Amino acid sequence: MSDTLTRPRTYLWALGAVLLLALPFYLERFWLQAGLFAMAAAIGAIGINLLTGSTGQLSMGHAFFLAVGAYGYCAFAGDGSDGLSGLGLPGWLAAVGAVALAGAAGGLFSPIAGRLRGAYLGIATLALIFIGQHVLFNAHDLTGGFNGRAVPPLSLLGVTFDESELLVAQVPFGAAEKLWYLGLALLLGSALFARGVLRGRPGRALNAIRDHRIAAGVLGIPVARYRAAAFVLSSMYAGLAGVLLALVFQRTVPEYFGMLLSLEYLAMIVIGGLGSVAGAVVGGVFVSLLPQVLNRYSDALPLVSAPGTGGIAPGEASRYLYGAAVVAVVLFLPGGLVRLAARRPAPPSGTTAEER
Amino acid sequence: MTMRRHRRLAATLTALVALTAAAGCSSKAKSGDDAGGQGADGVKTGRGVDAKTIQLGVLTDMTGVYATLGKSVTQAQQLYVKQLNAAGGVCGRTVELTVRDHGYDPQKALAGYTELEPKVLGFPQFIGSPFVAAVKQRIDGQDKGLVLPQAWSASLLGSGHIRVIGSTYDIETINAVDFLLKEKGLRKGDKLGHVYFEGDYGENALKGSKHAAEKAGLSVVEQKIKPTDNDMSAQVAALKQAGVKAIVLSAGPRQAASLVGVAAAVKLTVPVIGNNSAFAPQLLATQAGPALEKMYYVASPSLPIGADTPVAKKLVADYKAAYPKDALDNGVVAGWSAAQVFGEALKKACADKDLTREGVGKALLTLNAHDAGFGMTHDFSDPKAPSSRQSAVIQPDKSVPGGARVVREPQVSDAAKAFTPGA
Amino acid sequence: MTTFAELLLGGVALGSVYALIALGFVVIFRATEVVNFAHASLLLAGGYVTAVLHDDIGFWPALAAGIAGAALVGAAVEFLVMRRYRGRDHSVLAIVTIGVDILLTTELARRIGTDVLSPGDPWGDAVVTIGSVTIAQTRIAAFLAAALLITAFLLAFRFTSWGVAMRAAAESPSTAALMGVRLGRVSLGAWAVAGGLAAVAALFLTVFPTPGLERSTSLAALKAFPAAILGGLDSTTGALVGGLLVGVTESLATGYQGDLTFLGRGIGDLAPYLVMVVVLLIRPAGLFGTKELARV
Repeated sequence: MSDTLTRPRTYLWALGAVLLLALPFYLERFWLQAGLFAMAAAIGAIGINLLTGSTGQLSMGHAFFLAVGAYGYCAFAGDGSDGLSGLGLPGWLAAVGAVALAGAAGGLFSPIAGRLRGAYLGIATLALIFIGQHVLFNAHDLTGGFNGRAVPPLSLLGVTFDESELLVAQVPFGAAEKLWYLGLALLLGSALFARGVLRGRPGRALNAIRDHRIAAGVLGIPVARYRAAAFVLSSMYAGLAGVLLALVFQRTVPEYFGMLLSLEYLAMIVIGGLGSVAGAVVGGVFVSLLPQVLNRYSDALPLVSAPGTGGIAPGEASRYLYGAAVVAVVLFLPGGLVRLAARRPAPPSGTTAEER
Repeated sequence: MTMRRHRRLAATLTALVALTAAAGCSSKAKSGDDAGGQGADGVKTGRGVDAKTIQLGVLTDMTGVYATLGKSVTQAQQLYVKQLNAAGGVCGRTVELTVRDHGYDPQKALAGYTELEPKVLGFPQFIGSPFVAAVKQRIDGQDKGLVLPQAWSASLLGSGHIRVIGSTYDIETINAVDFLLKEKGLRKGDKLGHVYFEGDYGENALKGSKHAAEKAGLSVVEQKIKPTDNDMSAQVAALKQAGVKAIVLSAGPRQAASLVGVAAAVKLTVPVIGNNSAFAPQLLATQAGPALEKMYYVASPSLPIGADTPVAKKLVADYKAAYPKDALDNGVVAGWSAAQVFGEALKKACADKDLTREGVGKALLTLNAHDAGFGMTHDFSDPKAPSSRQSAVIQPDKSVPGGARVVREPQVSDAAKAFTPGA
Repeated sequence: MTTFAELLLGGVALGSVYALIALGFVVIFRATEVVNFAHASLLLAGGYVTAVLHDDIGFWPALAAGIAGAALVGAAVEFLVMRRYRGRDHSVLAIVTIGVDILLTTELARRIGTDVLSPGDPWGDAVVTIGSVTIAQTRIAAFLAAALLITAFLLAFRFTSWGVAMRAAAESPSTAALMGVRLGRVSLGAWAVAGGLAAVAALFLTVFPTPGLERSTSLAALKAFPAAILGGLDSTTGALVGGLLVGVTESLATGYQGDLTFLGRGIGDLAPYLVMVVVLLIRPAGLFGTKELARV
């Protein structure tokens, strides 16, 4: 490790960090917002990767836990002035509470999750989506019903993450600029924590469970406990992603937390690379930026036509692309896009895509 | 691990240094007044307007659940803008529409708004009331561009910049119940079935039917459905069991076809009246067509596209010429009307020599007797009230362009006059 | 009472359609152990072919073409995609089917656009009245067709060599392969059969009382998930029972939603999932599914 300063990777990291930190000074709000969506997606994807990628538990219910995080934050931080129930907690506490709440929701579901395997678990978690949507639309006092509820801005260390302008080096910082740094910090923390989990004992145990549950049990790994823990942890990640999304959206929209969102998260981890933190981040960024970029440049792209002129609309084009990406990545690039960057040999075919 | 941390720290420090150095030359840096200025012609301009063009944004849904509506509305608006420009534009400037299709996805809708907002003067179309609600704070707080949502929910009222054109769903439903009472023999003590979508549209309409029922001594039998429910047999069975004498439908065209078809089949021959979003001419070609023509009515915030007014006739001819393959439906009227309101506001603002966002907003407030050529006048002077409380009642009819003819001219019921939407 | 009978009959008819979808789902699972999330797009493909062709070639040939078309799409998915992944982790394969589903559904939705396509069926909106109970002819046809197809399928599964091969492959792929069962063919056949069944289901999901085929028709396939799981993913009987259970639950919960307001309105769509969760809590492998026996 003493050659850190001479390795090119160090400088790449530094360059990347500078770039990311400098972006709010140059990018227009659209791109910052797109980036924030990507960060939230990356955090959520890290979570589901812990569950599906590393432990082999297929979950279609990730969107539900995102909703718990987003609405939990609103309910904890809301002061009830909009006629909806709220505890009026300070923002940071509400955010922590929302993440804990999402974890608790995951914990509540884990008796079911613990009993089910593979496909059964996957479809059982679909129930969460439908139950979640039902509650979001019907529990009006808590969720605001169809119109959602306004998200109270977060205040942290004297900075309020709302539209009030803050001048930094002559550049006006609105909500998107300020949230950008919060998002970066959260993403970095989430990624490091997940990496720590996966590189340590728990990670090996989770992988052992994925690869052979019974054998893992025989080896003395408390399988049920680890599976439940993975579920809780993954739900907490989803909750955090939900909080960040809520802050970016400035309003929770119940339609958003549907099945398509869950499917997108599954697509992210497959495209990025199952079981790896970097893969989740890459996949999250890819899937959430793709439609935005295509939409924005629809006029300039071949084959894609502007809405209303017939032909393939940008929304459709992005769905084709990421549908094809899921299929193609698993086929040609087992291990996901991160393999491409790492240029490490793919595992021999016939084994599960495993990587940490 | 420690070295790694050092590395990060070093990176962060370098970044901070670089930041302070670089920020000075950022194009985002504040340099005096960016609110625009005055054109050579003495017209004050702001964002979205330059010497040659006026940019408008359209946030529509062409690939999601409201694709049918979005397509008609957008094409009608493109047609309006084309004609407006052919007639010389506004203030010597051509009007340009930038269309973004969000496919009813909140993330794309928000992205579309954020992308277009800095570049356009306003939005003559924004489909999806939850999304409008999501950016409401920004519109009212800092952006202040005029937004005309293609949704008629009372929850959108009250903003000076988001203006609903025509009666809201609750008022429309009250007028619909009035029609049933006055012309279809519904009486005090009767039961009124109401099948409605979960969400903004249905629940706003339900408020209207409850208000009307209370005034007239009716009781409402509720059936809530989801936009994905296409088979109304269970709902009809329940309503038949309850013995309803009439049905209000606040759902989509497909649900209307199913509900009316099933009701006719099981001999529940009661009048059914839908909100304006619960009809599409394509339905007349389905199995339910004959039943629809017999027992279905639609309350509408304007006369239908097939109305006997010069504006409607011209629009039918022009739209057919421009989009020969596409159906003529009420989305065309809605889109045209919204574009026209925006166009009128622009012209007024031009006359006042103020084409800024504020100027357009002010100009709209002075439009207090705007006649869109579809049988009703709109009054935009009060942001808290819908621009009109009138509803026409139309009936499906295959032989008319747009598939519907007028059975009751636009009017306001007494119950609707006394109703405060959104309360 | 009349309402109850109507709702029950409607539910049974609807449930038999769900059973058809669930059956295809189970067939693929038995043959390949893959959860096929692309089932919805097979359904849409079958319905689309039928709806587009019936004007030109008549309803019955169009239906046959729809069944063949969906079977072909199913087989193509197996041959072009799934075959290349054989032996991989089943969760990964399930996610691959999601990718396939996105591709197919996007393409079909784009073709359908904003239209509502009529399937051109001969039953129309005719109804049959028995005593005070009224039921649509299409519902009776759906029930009969489903009963016929499911019986035929179960017989084939039991007595033909294809069925034996299929069951052997499900029992132990490697042993079956050693005994001369061609796994590729078994899996190809399973996908084709599932496609055909889905096409029939698509027809009955788009006839009266629904207005016709449109882009969101495929969402009905989602109801087949709880149906298949309820019964047990690897049990054909289970698919049948699960389908009926989901159909009847949905119909009754919708019809009596006025009495269930404490659960919130619009409970009908949710009810099947609630039943599913309860069943899974008691029997983790579904009502008829085989409990897993694992060897290390």
